[in-house]
Amino acid sequence: MSTLLDISGVSLSFGGVKAVSDFALKLNPGNLQGLIGPNGAGKTTVFNLITGVYRPDAGAIALDGRPLIGLPPHRIAQAGVARTFQNIRLFGNLSVLDNVRVACHLRAHHSITGALLRTARHLGGELAIERHAHELLDIFNLGFRADELACNLPYGDQRRLEIARALATDPKVLLLDEPAAGMNTQEKRRLAELIHFIRDSFRLTILLIDHDVGLIMGICDTITVLDHGQTIAVGPACDVQKDPKVIEAYLGEPADGAVR
Amino acid sequence: MADSPTTTARPIASIRARTLQLTPPRWVAFCRGAAPIVIGVALAVLLQFYANRWFGGYREKILIDIGINIILAVSLNIVNGYTGQFSIGHAGFMAVGAYTAGFIMYYGSFWLFGDTQFHGGILSATTDPRGLHGPGFSGGDLLFPAALIAGGLVAALFGFIVGLPSLRLRGDYLAIVTLGFGEIVRVVIETTGTVLAGDEIGGQPWYRLLNRVGGPMGFGGLPIYASSFWVWVCVAATVLAAYRIKASTMGRAFLAVRENEIAAASLGVPITRYKVRAFVIAAFFAGVAGGLFAHEIGNMLNAGELGFLKSFDIIIMVVLGGMGSISGAVVAAIVLTILPEALRSVSEFRMIAYALLLIVMMIARPQGLLGIHEMWDLPYFRRRRTGGKTA
Repeated sequence: MSTLLDISGVSLSFGGVKAVSDFALKLNPGNLQGLIGPNGAGKTTVFNLITGVYRPDAGAIALDGRPLIGLPPHRIAQAGVARTFQNIRLFGNLSVLDNVRVACHLRAHHSITGALLRTARHLGGELAIERHAHELLDIFNLGFRADELACNLPYGDQRRLEIARALATDPKVLLLDEPAAGMNTQEKRRLAELIHFIRDSFRLTILLIDHDVGLIMGICDTITVLDHGQTIAVGPACDVQKDPKVIEAYLGEPADGAVR
Repeated sequence: MADSPTTTARPIASIRARTLQLTPPRWVAFCRGAAPIVIGVALAVLLQFYANRWFGGYREKILIDIGINIILAVSLNIVNGYTGQFSIGHAGFMAVGAYTAGFIMYYGSFWLFGDTQFHGGILSATTDPRGLHGPGFSGGDLLFPAALIAGGLVAALFGFIVGLPSLRLRGDYLAIVTLGFGEIVRVVIETTGTVLAGDEIGGQPWYRLLNRVGGPMGFGGLPIYASSFWVWVCVAATVLAAYRIKASTMGRAFLAVRENEIAAASLGVPITRYKVRAFVIAAFFAGVAGGLFAHEIGNMLNAGELGFLKSFDIIIMVVLGGMGSISGAVVAAIVLTILPEALRSVSEFRMIAYALLLIVMMIARPQGLLGIHEMWDLPYFRRRRTGGKTA
């Protein structure tokens, strides 16, 4: 299998702070990779680097062999990278349906003259977008809320709507930034099932950030652990769990070290 | 459910594949697309021939003022409302369109017809069209819409130029750029020389006339072409265009830019391009409104009148009606055109009242009366449509 998303040697610093240094990651099609680490480890920065919000100081990022560095965020989305946000960024004053329809914009034919004259093609495109959006919402169990304003949704629904919206861009790689934040155990379990389901049925490659080590360990094939911008461990869940460096990063130094 | 064959097929078909399947026959689309245009033109024809008889000359003029203000408010709404950029230079685009159209009508009339008087037919006749100024459907009836479109296009070009800084600027900084633009337009126009009378024009190349649009004295002697018909055709076109844009994929992208730029970009919306587009579209319609304003009965085109205060008038309409609401902008334009007329005796206090109104609105309801919604989205109408069921 060829690598779909290839990140190598990526570094970024803000002033004197090394946010991410020498980060490398290879995602094969169909992978479900976890990215964990304590607060401030640089996980979200990695997402921002991939999606073009930041430009790395060094290193290379390529999707399907196409370099992504230097492209503006909307081009990277066009290339097939979609994401959700840690602090939810829905279009609050638009309806749930419209939130998803905005994201369909990429994959549909549309033109200003078509919209102004309401050509047959434009009508067909709008109808297709509407059905597509409705079906996506149904998958996420949000269909019955399609006409509500996004800002009025309960928290868990907002998180799922963000995923639905990201899927509407028809991505190859989906980046999920703490999708389980603020959910209870039951909701988390359902979310894990959902992530598995969309990975398989949409043939996605997923990179997942979360604080909930349990969730990540449960669903991810491989895990990368970041701490202070450094990659401290990579590998399958069971190996990473036992890695002393990971334990140290999360729980502090071992007792004998602490006494000193 | 890892790799079982039942789940490897995508759960939903791609949009492109579906578009073909859902595309209605051409004639259906044509009828649906053309129907509102036909209705709009029919209404404009009705007003052209009966407004004077029904309402009298003074109220017909107010009706024309209302129409022009609707065009201005609805077009500014595309920038300030849909896209969430704050432009306070809309009157600048209006001035560009007004002077372009005025230039074409004044000097163009001379070039085509030999003098600078009115040469229109029934469509452009401004007082009671039964007493015609010229033969029906004569040359001026074609020249005027051409001049309006030219005014719109030149204004759109300026809209593009002003829209470009929005690549880098947002909020207050962009507002200052648009304010500066409006003032530059006004000042540049005020440096031009006096308008040439008919017998002085002869033989001069057109580009030397560009400098002859009246300066601080105003562009006097423009023929009166802005009849009810042209104004209300333009109103119908503007409202229809604004509505269709809002209801389309492009319109949702505008709204997305306004709601959250970062999220919009992450979904593949090129935010810079959409901001510039909003400026271009809004400037086009402002230019058309300017062209109408320049040729309206009882108006003297003067750049001084199309300054900051005029922009402010338009902003008030958009803010009052609701940032992003077409019907809100229309209603606000109607109310804020009629009110100063009705309260003419105290109209010097208009600006004070506007300022107070703006402050109150910003505190009590910053999104405007209707916010982003249309009138038919209000709960009252919704309930009527769904027959009492709440959605």
